Amino acid sequence: MNKSQSGRYKITNKRSRPLTYEMAKPPYEIAHKKSWNSWNTSNIINGNRPMECAVEDLFIRKFLTGTWCTLFLSEIIIKRNHNMIRIAGIVKKSYDPIKYYFLIGYTEELLSYYLHCPVKLELQSAMNEDIIFKYI
Amino acid sequence: MSMFMYSKTYFFKPKIVNFIPLRSIKAKVPNTFVNEVDKDGFRILELFPTKIKKTVKYQKSIPIFTGREQKMPVDQDWPTVWPSQKTFQPHSVPLPVRQGYPKPGEGPFSKIANTELMKIPNFLHLTPPAIKRHCEALKQFCTEWPKELDSDAKCTEHFPLEVLYSDYCYSGPSIRDPLSRIITFKVKLSSLKLDYHAKDKILRLAGNRYDYTSDIITIITDRCPMRKQNYDYATYLLIALYHESWRKEDWENEKALADMEYYDWEKNQSKKNLVTIYAWPEIPQDFNYAHIPHAEEYKVAVSELINNGEDEHSINKYKQVVKKLMFFKPEKNHSTESE
Repeated sequence: MNKSQSGRYKITNKRSRPLTYEMAKPPYEIAHKKSWNSWNTSNIINGNRPMECAVEDLFIRKFLTGTWCTLFLSEIIIKRNHNMIRIAGIVKKSYDPIKYYFLIGYTEELLSYYLHCPVKLELQSAMNEDIIFKYI
Repeated sequence: MSMFMYSKTYFFKPKIVNFIPLRSIKAKVPNTFVNEVDKDGFRILELFPTKIKKTVKYQKSIPIFTGREQKMPVDQDWPTVWPSQKTFQPHSVPLPVRQGYPKPGEGPFSKIANTELMKIPNFLHLTPPAIKRHCEALKQFCTEWPKELDSDAKCTEHFPLEVLYSDYCYSGPSIRDPLSRIITFKVKLSSLKLDYHAKDKILRLAGNRYDYTSDIITIITDRCPMRKQNYDYATYLLIALYHESWRKEDWENEKALADMEYYDWEKNQSKKNLVTIYAWPEIPQDFNYAHIPHAEEYKVAVSELINNGEDEHSINKYKQVVKKLMFFKPEKNHSTESE
């Protein structure tokens, strides 16, 4: 039996567990039904600095889940081109816009200091129900 | 227009947030709202406090502006709306874009809250009018192509040296890539001014850097850390190669038959054999073959056979020439026989 469990969600009795599109597709569907959450040139053949890139991505994700506590509804997408890091994701719509503006500036400023790169947050706001793909 | 709008209190259960482990925890506020005091300034103890009627605060509901993309004018200037590379934003793109693997019986998902559309790179900033504008802006830095160089043949004639190098685009804080230091020089051998000796020597010096099929000498330099240094080194190598091939050292006069780069019939045993056989039983004084009939053809056939390799054509030619040589009948005899 294949016992792999990562990226898979248990079915509830009442079928009440909401899943996003990203959650609903298991890891082996990557590149078929869903695409990667990290886009960079480090992991291509002969790509430069793959390990630094992986650690930085991990740091960015940790930083954002901590700073934007419960605000992100989707996974955090990190796209790199040249020296630019673009962080994308879907955030809650029902939240104070002024706080959002502060958080965006704060995150961009701090991350660009840490990573020595210009960082841009390109967010989309959505309702909770918009991102639910199905219930299991 | 603000991206984030106030919304009505939104009831939906269960929420996706409920499954995210991190929560914000609100501390319980102590019940300290007894503010009434008596005339001496002491707070009045109310053992059975009258319940204060809670005033319900209504959040001013601002309608969520949706459909901004539908209100955009049809003839708007798109390159100013989407000037550069950006993650997909459904409310600023007036296109019914869809992406995602649908559930059975449904279509692909719309653009709203679609993470798949946000992941993939889009080319909305590279519309034809935007590219046209880029080109217009870059035109002032360009010079006209010389009219004389209207064909590839002319280009290679006037600029025989081809220099190749690569620039690499990577994601990362550094724009340097070690592979970009490599320089390749390509030059056609026929474009260099060489005599017989110089050509022979340049081929020996170049070795496997010379390609016989395309007649091109390729010099690749990658030993220096910078591209400029490698370029200079390649230039030096090419110049040195050219001048060295023109220089004739004393020991080069000692070139023997074994050092020949091709089969020279005149210097080989085959010529001597032919002349000896023709003169037999006398011993030939000099190896002059001009008087021997078909000797010139034989020379060409043997040289071709050895220089170009054996194939059906060359072997047949050799056979015919040998037959002509061996069974040659002089004109005189031929005429007497016929008489």
